[in-house]
Amino acid sequence: MSAGTHRVVGLVDYKAGNVQSIENSFSHVGAEVVRVKTADDIARCTHVVLPGVGAFGFCAEKLAATSLAPALAAGALARQRPLLAICVGMQLLADGSDESPGVAGLGWVGGQVKRFAGGPGVRVPHVGWNTVRFAHGWGDFPAGSSADFYFDHSFAYGVPRLGRAVGLCQHGQEFSAVIQRDNITAVQFHPEKSQTAGLRMIEGFLRQ
Amino acid sequence: MSITGLKKRIVPKLLIKHRQMGRSVRPVLVTTQGYDKVVEIGDAVSQAKIYQAQMADELVVLNIDGTPIGDDPVMLGLIERLAAETFMPLAVGGGVRTIDDFHQLLETGADKVSINSQAVESPLLITEAARRFGAQCVVVSIDFRIDEGGVPRVHTGGARKRTDIDAVEFARRVADLGAGEILLTDADRDGRGEGLNYDVCARIADSVSIPVILSGGCGRAEHFIEGFKLGHAEAVSAGTFFAFRDQNPIQARAHVRNAGIPIRMET
Repeated sequence: MSAGTHRVVGLVDYKAGNVQSIENSFSHVGAEVVRVKTADDIARCTHVVLPGVGAFGFCAEKLAATSLAPALAAGALARQRPLLAICVGMQLLADGSDESPGVAGLGWVGGQVKRFAGGPGVRVPHVGWNTVRFAHGWGDFPAGSSADFYFDHSFAYGVPRLGRAVGLCQHGQEFSAVIQRDNITAVQFHPEKSQTAGLRMIEGFLRQ
Repeated sequence: MSITGLKKRIVPKLLIKHRQMGRSVRPVLVTTQGYDKVVEIGDAVSQAKIYQAQMADELVVLNIDGTPIGDDPVMLGLIERLAAETFMPLAVGGGVRTIDDFHQLLETGADKVSINSQAVESPLLITEAARRFGAQCVVVSIDFRIDEGGVPRVHTGGARKRTDIDAVEFARRVADLGAGEILLTDADRDGRGEGLNYDVCARIADSVSIPVILSGGCGRAEHFIEGFKLGHAEAVSAGTFFAFRDQNPIQARAHVRNAGIPIRMET
């Protein structure tokens, strides 16, 4: 981040998982972090982060209870305010997930989230460090480059209906590790737990 | 191309005891031998930062006093500091009894929560936690000792209390109940540096589809390789090995890579 650029990161606080680690990683690279609970809170921010840990249905229900979705959509889709969605936060952007049938996602990226098929040599949950290949450049990760990130999940995105898969990963099947649509970047891994590569991702997001 | 790009993990283990220092109680980092002989090492946060600099893939933090962790300000304070000062995954356990304990630890900065005695005493906690928080954050820690007949028997309460449960059968059961990972420790090998029990690990890893972290007995870098190649473990965890020896995760990583095992690249 260039000196003198003040970034205010709104961390959507909807009681679905560990937001402290995300807050710590953004603070570490010099951003101001605020926990957002209302549309007015979001209006103050230059960037927004949508976290999420736990079951899809649980997170969707908790997010719906905040009534923040329209303000998030207005900011991210109208290209004003970059949004980073992490892990189940990413999955919430789908139309739905096999984890919680009948529960609607936000549909901003669309597509269906499915459980890993697993099989010999492919354990589920997918836990640990895996290599993401950038099919398109993102931040300072050039097209064709690779980096290892930390994953911890059982469900994943195949192909987005809207936007494009920027980063791809293999675990018995190919899945989308990074999806981008307009001002939205969605990552299946945990940048806040991915040491140097994760901090590079966070800095790239803050430069948007 | 390999069917998965997932890497094997090297996971330092931080064992924590409470110690009275003047008027306050502080967490101290220790190592144990056979879960018994305790040696104090120092400060857990400083050690965690060193492990991070040495490219450890994840940390396991265990409260070996077994105090109810969800109401324990000493342990919660430590987890908060570890989460604030490192950017790596934390699996936390020791004294986890309820869904509220899971909630408290995850809110404080743990990424995964491990249960041990409670998995034996109230196994449905596994299912409930997986449903509520997702299987990926539910780790069942299984301590075992080999009995006279060669059967690995599950032990609880810091491996002091023997049960009649066969560890292999128990592992299968907790996987069916919804556990996301198993942390497997041979309590008799703990802290001895004579090698891991890769036999029992392979029997378990081959009968469940969730990842297994093997610990108890790392004394040489080759032991990691044995854990991965012969034990079919996804991760190998070590406490004493990294704490005392002139050994660190960077060196272990180089050995593992040279043996052709997929491990994380430098960034």
